[in-house]
Amino acid sequence: MSPVRGRPDRLLAAAVFLFVGLFAAFAVVLIAADALYVDRKAVLTILTADFILDALWRSLWTSVLTTAIALLFAVPMGYALSRYRFPGHVLVDTLVDLPIVFPPLVAGMTLLVFFHQTAPGRWIEGGLGLRFAFQPAGIVLCQFVLAASFAIRSAKTAFDEVDRRLEDVALTLGCTQWGSLFRVALPLARGGILAGGIMTWARSFGVFGPLMIFVGTFRGRTEVLSTTIFLEQSVGNLEVALALSLLLIGVALVSLVAIRLAAGPPWRKP
Amino acid sequence: MIRSEGVHCEAGGFRLQGIDLEIGRGEYFVLLGPPGSGKTVFLECLCGLRRIRSGRILVGGEDVTRAEPRRRGVGYVPQDYALFPHRSVARNIAFGPEAAGLDRGEVERRVLRTAERLGIRHLLDRRIAGLSGGEKQRVALARALATSPRVLLLDEPLSALDETTREEVALELLRLQGELGTTTLHVCHVFEEARILAGRLGIMIGGTLAQTGPVEEVFSRPRTPELARFLRAGTVLEGTAEPEGDGALLRAGPIRLRSEARASGPVSFVVLADAVRLSSGGTAGGENVLEGRLIHLSPRGLFARADVEIAPGVRLEAHLPRTDPWPAPGTTVTVRFPAAAVHVFPGRGT
Repeated sequence: MSPVRGRPDRLLAAAVFLFVGLFAAFAVVLIAADALYVDRKAVLTILTADFILDALWRSLWTSVLTTAIALLFAVPMGYALSRYRFPGHVLVDTLVDLPIVFPPLVAGMTLLVFFHQTAPGRWIEGGLGLRFAFQPAGIVLCQFVLAASFAIRSAKTAFDEVDRRLEDVALTLGCTQWGSLFRVALPLARGGILAGGIMTWARSFGVFGPLMIFVGTFRGRTEVLSTTIFLEQSVGNLEVALALSLLLIGVALVSLVAIRLAAGPPWRKP
Repeated sequence: MIRSEGVHCEAGGFRLQGIDLEIGRGEYFVLLGPPGSGKTVFLECLCGLRRIRSGRILVGGEDVTRAEPRRRGVGYVPQDYALFPHRSVARNIAFGPEAAGLDRGEVERRVLRTAERLGIRHLLDRRIAGLSGGEKQRVALARALATSPRVLLLDEPLSALDETTREEVALELLRLQGELGTTTLHVCHVFEEARILAGRLGIMIGGTLAQTGPVEEVFSRPRTPELARFLRAGTVLEGTAEPEGDGALLRAGPIRLRSEARASGPVSFVVLADAVRLSSGGTAGGENVLEGRLIHLSPRGLFARADVEIAPGVRLEAHLPRTDPWPAPGTTVTVRFPAAAVHVFPGRGT
């Protein structure tokens, strides 16, 4: 529905779109600056070098796996935080937000200290044989620590927005609480949960800081696109680093748009 | 069919206090009360969405106090209907039969049968968002009925509808209930709705069940002056009574009335507004015939409410049917009512 607009309304639209325009122009200018610096040789290098395709593939599968694991936690945690009041609710709610606030490097250091300096950490790696430090699994762990918060927070908000009376009615219509979760709450919270998944994937795909500390950048084993960019620029291959940045931006843009188109806009109510 | 025995429940700062109520098989019972009187909390207790502190709830003789909502055989239509916005009309109606594990063919048969019964077959493929208030109400009812409940609980089912649709849907509810014979508990705060629908009526005020009985009896014989005021049954007056013949002579300030009730001493009584009739011009004299001035007249659906000043500071309320000629406001009128329309509250001066 579009109301009849007067002059002050058009001024409001102009004012808000000024900011939209400035933001979008700033982003485009930054990407264009990168693009202008990149030469043909650098583009050829990133399109043909095996180690880059290997890093790209690792970035993709680790971030997708991280997102899947994050969503696996997000749905029950979001539901619990939204629907139940329990001792420690405030604490858990705060812990969920913590990784969004602290510097990413801290996550890497904390993981390294846990697995190398504490008995439970050493037992997991030594006793159970689940190796994370300087291993591909460590990439997923770093990404999960930094990005799962987005999925959990979004899922909680999405469940909060589902009218509880709908679930109550489902109970009177013959559902168990499991049924009302899967047939009512979850389909209605789907948009918000998917939006959280997109944020989680985007964050995971670009993670850099903690990887340098916890898994390193071993070519063919723990190297991902973000760490390749760092390595290339640190040895003076600025053109290749920038071409890689453009590749990372391109993959992220295409993926985000594709997911959004497939899922529908996250703000859309069913 | 459904019985509540001494049900106590706390909801936030609100208390439901010892509700005793029995509704027979096939009965249409209306629970009337002002907003915030505990009607919805009571319904939630009956269908198991709210745990009760003490008391028992029985459905069809079976104690369901501790049974989960799905095991009570109770259909619930909440206020605003709470339809599932992510499902089409057909999928909303199919929700209960699907949850019961019926096979697909039986689910579809039930959806069609229920939709036809409620005249909403043409809506089956529609989304909830595009439905009107009346359509939503029918869909919510169909969704509850598709589970073949033993008891149907309706929470303010007509409150979101406009006046015309409300009357139409009220009559349809009666027709449907007559056809299906489903025991129904209907909660509302609108008197006209209660009068149209109720076989028996209960009044809930402040978390207690103040009175139950056949609808005309509750309106014509309210148990207390407070109930009479809430029901807008008529004009409540304070005065004295002295026995006279089979009834009593009541005095309230300058006016004298006759009642069929035997009473003496200080009394409270109500002159039932439905029984008060007006005619133009003043011809006071005789039993319960008074002269006054018509102060105010306001049409309300099927009747008009009239306020007549019969003495300084004393006004009588009358409900005039549409079929009666209405005198003009500001004119002198004669007020008449039978002695049976003067109800003396029990326990006060009798």
